Amino acid sequence: MVVHPERRAQRSLQRMLGATLCPVTVAADLGTAAIDGDTIVVVDTAIALASLDACKRPARAWIAVPGEGLQPADPTTVSALLNAGWDHVVAHPMPLLAEELLATAQKLIRRDCFGLDKYMAWGAEVRGYTLEDALERDAAVGAIASDVTRVGLPDRIGSLVSVIADELLANALYAAPVDVHGAKHRVHDPRDRGRPLVDRDVVTLRWSTDGRYLAIEVRDRWGTIEPAAIETRLAATKTSTVESGMGLPLAYACSNQLVVNVAPQVLTEVIALLDIRYKPTELARSASFHAFWGEPP
Amino acid sequence: MTRLQIEIAGGRVTFAGRIDESAQLATLASQLLPGPVVLVPEGVTFVSSVGLREWIRFLRALRESGHAVTLERVGDVLMTQMNLISELRGLAVTSFHAQYECASCRNEAQPLVDATLSPVPCGECGSPMQLADFPERYLTIFRT
Repeated sequence: MVVHPERRAQRSLQRMLGATLCPVTVAADLGTAAIDGDTIVVVDTAIALASLDACKRPARAWIAVPGEGLQPADPTTVSALLNAGWDHVVAHPMPLLAEELLATAQKLIRRDCFGLDKYMAWGAEVRGYTLEDALERDAAVGAIASDVTRVGLPDRIGSLVSVIADELLANALYAAPVDVHGAKHRVHDPRDRGRPLVDRDVVTLRWSTDGRYLAIEVRDRWGTIEPAAIETRLAATKTSTVESGMGLPLAYACSNQLVVNVAPQVLTEVIALLDIRYKPTELARSASFHAFWGEPP
Repeated sequence: MTRLQIEIAGGRVTFAGRIDESAQLATLASQLLPGPVVLVPEGVTFVSSVGLREWIRFLRALRESGHAVTLERVGDVLMTQMNLISELRGLAVTSFHAQYECASCRNEAQPLVDATLSPVPCGECGSPMQLADFPERYLTIFRT
């Protein structure tokens, strides 16, 4: 279901979603849209802003997409939607919009959310590292930064990749593990202390590029991430201070799209996507965000 | 990756390497003599969220101990991350590195610039290079 006031945007969105071969209907406003618990609702950001609680209504998913003329969503709008609990906010204009929307819709339709390969063109190689000790974080970050530079990407991308990989790994190593009472008992662990990573403590880092995007994926085996809490933190784009919990917001600020996939109590996967085709000024000021729940692969 | 190297020469402190959990910033403010302090973090190549927190605490400690603080030649990665933190608005920054691109040959570089973000000549073809990012990612810190 596409809910957008502009006929031209309706047509564009209908064609993008038509690639799923699922029936796509359109409506100019939420009042006339037929929505049930199995509907994926793609909503213009202006309509979403005017009905922030709409995302609480039963549907398979609510996805906010750029508004007038499908221009990039502004940061205030993205923050307001995240703060209101929207799990899918697409910020970017075409062609990213089409690529992101199709991948998002297919993940929801197929109920298959894990893996960075869903964002890569066929043929792109995926390289991975499995950390065997918490102290290997620096080496893994250094390796991925070196790999990225070696494939010809500029230092700017290498620098962003370093920050993103480091924050996602730190999150998996120290924020994800919980004890038998559900307490996050690794949060205050010294970061310079070794810890063998076996069983549920295993953390993997993978990356890939296809000339359009560079994707970084970090998995932990805890499944304790809470997308709603993350959305609230990401919504605070300008942080007054940095006493805690700045890791994911920093990774988000360095990305063009941040994707959280979670199988509760089993697996968390965070994917950060960087567009490597366009200058930052040709994209939206804020990154897109998506949260998916699903069965582990 | 290089740990943070700190050199103190009178009131001038130079930083190079990574600002992360291993950065020894907690006691640095107390090691500096009273008077104006110039921080030169040009060689900073990486800043983690934990490192950014330590950097903010260091700046806060300098302010609280009465130092007049100026930042010169701030590395790109530190400059963009400091711009995310509203507590740092109004900090004195005289120059910083920013992401520029040449529209003619698409060469990318991080020249040293100031808050005017003026064009600079491309090192490869001589055409004017322009800022390749949103100005607010560098200039929010100048708003009071």
